[in-house]
Amino acid sequence: MKQIAIFIIFIVSHALAQAQSHEGVVTYERVQYWTKVISRLDFLSQEEKDRATLTWGKQDEWKTKTTLYFNQKESKYEEVKEEGGWGRPDDFLIYRNFENEKITDLETISGKTYLVEDSLRAPQWKVMNKIKEIKGYLCMMAVSKDTIKNQTITAWFSNDIAVQAGPEKYFGLPGLILELDINDGDVVITAEKVELKPVTSELMALPKKMKGKKVNQGQYDVILADLMKTSIKGRRNPFWSIRY
Amino acid sequence: MKKILLLLLCSLAGLTTHAQSGRFTMKGVIADTAGVGLPEATVMLLLPKDSSLVNFGRTDKQGAFEFRNVKRVPYLLKVSYVGYLPYQQNVTPKEGDVTDLGKMNMKFLNQDLYEVVIKTARAPLSIRGDTVEYDPRAFKVPPGASVEDLLRRLPGMQIEQDGSIKAQGESVKRVTVDGKRFFGDDVKAATKNLPAEAISKVQVFNDKTEQSRITGVDDGKHEKTLNLQLKDSHKKGGFGKASVGVGTDKRLEGKINYNRFNEKNQFSVIGLGSNTNTGGMSWDDYQDFKGSQSFNWGDDGDFGFGGGSYISFGGDNDEESLTIQAGRGGQNRGFNKNWAGGANYNYDEKKTKFNTSYYYNQTSQDLDGISRRTNFLNNSAFTTLDTNGRRNYNANHRGGLRFEKTLDSLNTLIILSNMRIGNGTTDYASHQEYYRGQQDVDQLSTMSDVNNYSDFNSFALGNTAIFRHKFKKKGRNFAASFGYNINNSDGNSIQKSMNRFFGSSQTLPDSVININQTNETKSLRNQIKSSILYIEPLSKKFILESFYNFSLKTDDVDRDVFDVKEAGREMNTNLSRYYKNKSTFNRLGTSLRYSNNGLNISAGLGAQEIHLNGDFAVNQSDPVRTNIDRKFFNWTPNLSLNYDLKNNRYLYGGYNVNVSEPSISDLQPIVDNSNPLYIRVGNPSLVPTLTHSGNLGFQYFNPGSFVQMFFGLYYNKYENQVIYNQTVSENLVTTTRAENISGGNSFNAYGNYGFPIVKTKSNLSLNASYYRSNNLTNINAVLNETNTNGYNMGLRLDYTPSDKFTIYTNAGWNISDTKYSISSGQDQKIVNTNYGAEMNFKMPKDIYFNSRFSYNSYVNKRFGFDQSMPILNLSVYKTMLKSKKGEIRLSAYDLFNKNRGISQSAFGNVVSQEQVRTLARYFMLSFTYNMRGVNNSVRRKGYGF
Repeated sequence: MKQIAIFIIFIVSHALAQAQSHEGVVTYERVQYWTKVISRLDFLSQEEKDRATLTWGKQDEWKTKTTLYFNQKESKYEEVKEEGGWGRPDDFLIYRNFENEKITDLETISGKTYLVEDSLRAPQWKVMNKIKEIKGYLCMMAVSKDTIKNQTITAWFSNDIAVQAGPEKYFGLPGLILELDINDGDVVITAEKVELKPVTSELMALPKKMKGKKVNQGQYDVILADLMKTSIKGRRNPFWSIRY
Repeated sequence: MKKILLLLLCSLAGLTTHAQSGRFTMKGVIADTAGVGLPEATVMLLLPKDSSLVNFGRTDKQGAFEFRNVKRVPYLLKVSYVGYLPYQQNVTPKEGDVTDLGKMNMKFLNQDLYEVVIKTARAPLSIRGDTVEYDPRAFKVPPGASVEDLLRRLPGMQIEQDGSIKAQGESVKRVTVDGKRFFGDDVKAATKNLPAEAISKVQVFNDKTEQSRITGVDDGKHEKTLNLQLKDSHKKGGFGKASVGVGTDKRLEGKINYNRFNEKNQFSVIGLGSNTNTGGMSWDDYQDFKGSQSFNWGDDGDFGFGGGSYISFGGDNDEESLTIQAGRGGQNRGFNKNWAGGANYNYDEKKTKFNTSYYYNQTSQDLDGISRRTNFLNNSAFTTLDTNGRRNYNANHRGGLRFEKTLDSLNTLIILSNMRIGNGTTDYASHQEYYRGQQDVDQLSTMSDVNNYSDFNSFALGNTAIFRHKFKKKGRNFAASFGYNINNSDGNSIQKSMNRFFGSSQTLPDSVININQTNETKSLRNQIKSSILYIEPLSKKFILESFYNFSLKTDDVDRDVFDVKEAGREMNTNLSRYYKNKSTFNRLGTSLRYSNNGLNISAGLGAQEIHLNGDFAVNQSDPVRTNIDRKFFNWTPNLSLNYDLKNNRYLYGGYNVNVSEPSISDLQPIVDNSNPLYIRVGNPSLVPTLTHSGNLGFQYFNPGSFVQMFFGLYYNKYENQVIYNQTVSENLVTTTRAENISGGNSFNAYGNYGFPIVKTKSNLSLNASYYRSNNLTNINAVLNETNTNGYNMGLRLDYTPSDKFTIYTNAGWNISDTKYSISSGQDQKIVNTNYGAEMNFKMPKDIYFNSRFSYNSYVNKRFGFDQSMPILNLSVYKTMLKSKKGEIRLSAYDLFNKNRGISQSAFGNVVSQEQVRTLARYFMLSFTYNMRGVNNSVRRKGYGF
């Protein structure tokens, strides 16, 4: 985060005029394609992967909605709770504080809830040459990597919304991330509605009670990596119990 | 090195302070082509080698930016501003503290490009220097369109009359495919012949002229080049597998399947045959065969709780089903021959899905067995020895069509039609000896020799249409279904038996009954049915589900029985029967569901009426008709619970009442004496059986520790259960009459606990269950209560230390204790045990070894029945050919030659044991060719994906 600290912002004079585009709420649609995830499992034969793709490939979309509340100082990302649904929603909340450089994540892996509190560390981004439009915003492409889950990350960010926030655990680009593509389309999270409006502190506030085993990012990564390893060794898809 | 040199230079020159020696400040101004500064432009500093983002900022009002105190290395500066093409420039730090890049001018983003590509087509646009790249997926062209059609739609692209191409006003001189030249320099060859669907990218750029390519001297001239990037082939392809095995004792096995598919179409064929008891299609074969149409839920169109069992239309067993059956597994009884083959085609697109398939299968089965049975009567018993042989043959052609159309975002229509044409024969010969008492040594009562033969032809057709409508209000749904089914069958049979009854003498019979009958049965069943479902969300957590079911089933059965006498055939009017029966079913029901945070509770009530109206006569011409007109009304409650507790724990349970109407054969007021030793009498006053079922279960799985646990309870109680009361005569002729009785019940409790001894290397799982049942029957007018207590225990231990060696073991004990109230002291204790072990190891050079051993024993001490069966199978196999596409395998089955089909049971007032001659030791050499490679593993197939 030193990079951010050492660079100087020239927009003080614009701060008031631009306040509108520096906070708001984004509703994303998150689509996960199960057969694409299955086709990445090394312990399956090509025949088994093909079988899954041919049988389920046309109907493997798993759609959910997520919300990101953001301003220049912080962001909060969570699943939109669907009432009347069959299952129990997992505990999930991703909070980033860019000002204090703190993260607070409430996450469920294999049925157990963890409360991750640590300092802010941005992913290593590479900015590419592609542009496209998402919900009226011209976006640039940036790529990164998740070394624990072994995923390539493609983010499309809009420089018109000058905040570092983004969906899932991704942030740290010159503009708001409006689309996130995990592993070449295994999961695609696309902005469905972008509302630039003041975000009240109540909306941004964390719930008073956050139950979960307290760990730091390092410990969390170890738990995750271990679960990934044993699952794959036990020939079980780890992403039944881990968010992709 | 360069950095160090630079650093050295800097320090030597003393231009900077020590702290800042490795750092510098970069500044500049971002402006448009007219030189006016662009405020709020995003300025990014990247590393040139991999575009890593190092730092970013925004320009001020005047378009100026400044990065202070950045590392002294070369950078790639990238600038983005709304409405302009992203700008980039390489920056090498200059000597001194500050590197001023001056004014950088950004170009307008071509408005055409922006509007068409980015806004309308929503396609990413790649800009690499002067190369502009399109993603053709965003430009919709009709199926079968050529690249030329595609190019016409791309902005900035023009196709002339003669097929030549202009890009951004200039003529395209060259078309390449995947960077390679395609059919010489004729640009039209590629664009006219290649299908648009095959293209993943279209790139336009200026390339060197042919002249400069050859000479290697850049003459400065450039030619517009169009490159077409082909799609990865993973969306399109074909694969297949074939295997053949030849064994001793004329054993043969073969299987072939082939699939071809692209984005929207799937086509497959399968063929299989064996005489090694392998059975038909496995689930894997089935999925490969039917592809995306393997599983379609709710195709029966029967809505409401309890599923379709309320308005069944035959076809519950495999042979009678209208759809292709899979996953039956091998048969380990007798000798079975199977042949099957078929073809399937799917068209699968978001809005329209179509499937058609044809499948033929035939099985022939030889069963030669001996069985021993003891029937307990009121303080007496009789024992039957039966030596029999059965030859069964069955063949079916099945055809299916399914069409699903999403009419619009709210309406869906599904139409399906399945057909089966079948025929079969059964040949049955049996020698039976009836003894008084529990032993089969003395007191011979009856000796019977039976020879039956039957054949049948059948045709069945099922048609269903389902319409689903979603209302604008979220969660409100409507569905209606209509079905028409027909089942026509035509059967003939010959029944011959000689029954000798012994009384005073054990060698000379007191009386002899000879039966020689032929019987022709034609039956036609028609059914019209319809269901309606309406779902209304009352609030976010409460949902009301209401349904109505209707079915009208008509049976038209003509059974003509003839006694074959020396003078010729003579109709047997006692057994011949013609009837027409109408069964009308109406059910109305509703249920309320509560769902919140993983808790789902639903409670419902249904009201149903079954109306049976039948006319019975000896044959069509008989004016005397007996009419049965019965109406049964029942309330059917339904409760269910599903609770997703935290931490992978689930609780579930339910209660429901199932109503099953008496079968028409039980209702018919006739005496069926076609088997003179077992006479059946119908009962027109039967009422439906009500089954009350309750269950409760819990399960837990920890994906981190691999600990798994589940347990549950089941309870069934029968009201007006249809039982078959027995009257056994002095001659040991049993006469049964269907009767209703209440009070029978069954209870089952089970549990399983599995845990790793060493994570991923060794697993132990233990299971236990308890079963208790109480069945009632009247035997010679005395109520008999059969109480069975069953105990099961088992364990599995897996040892999977590496990818080269694995062992799987299991053991199971099953004890069932049966008591008959009419014959106290006749408690039957049946003990079945099994032990199994499997070992796999991988040797060098892709050679694998597999051995399986199982030991089963069957004991009933009271009858001195003690059979055991050690079975050892061994195989060694090797993957071969390029990319491991082939496998050769040598197998030995049942090395000790001990295999038999053994079963024993105790039910009603009967205890029995049976042994069937079954395929035993043979050796087989087989070869498999798999286009995708044979994937061998010493581990068992996992199911966790």
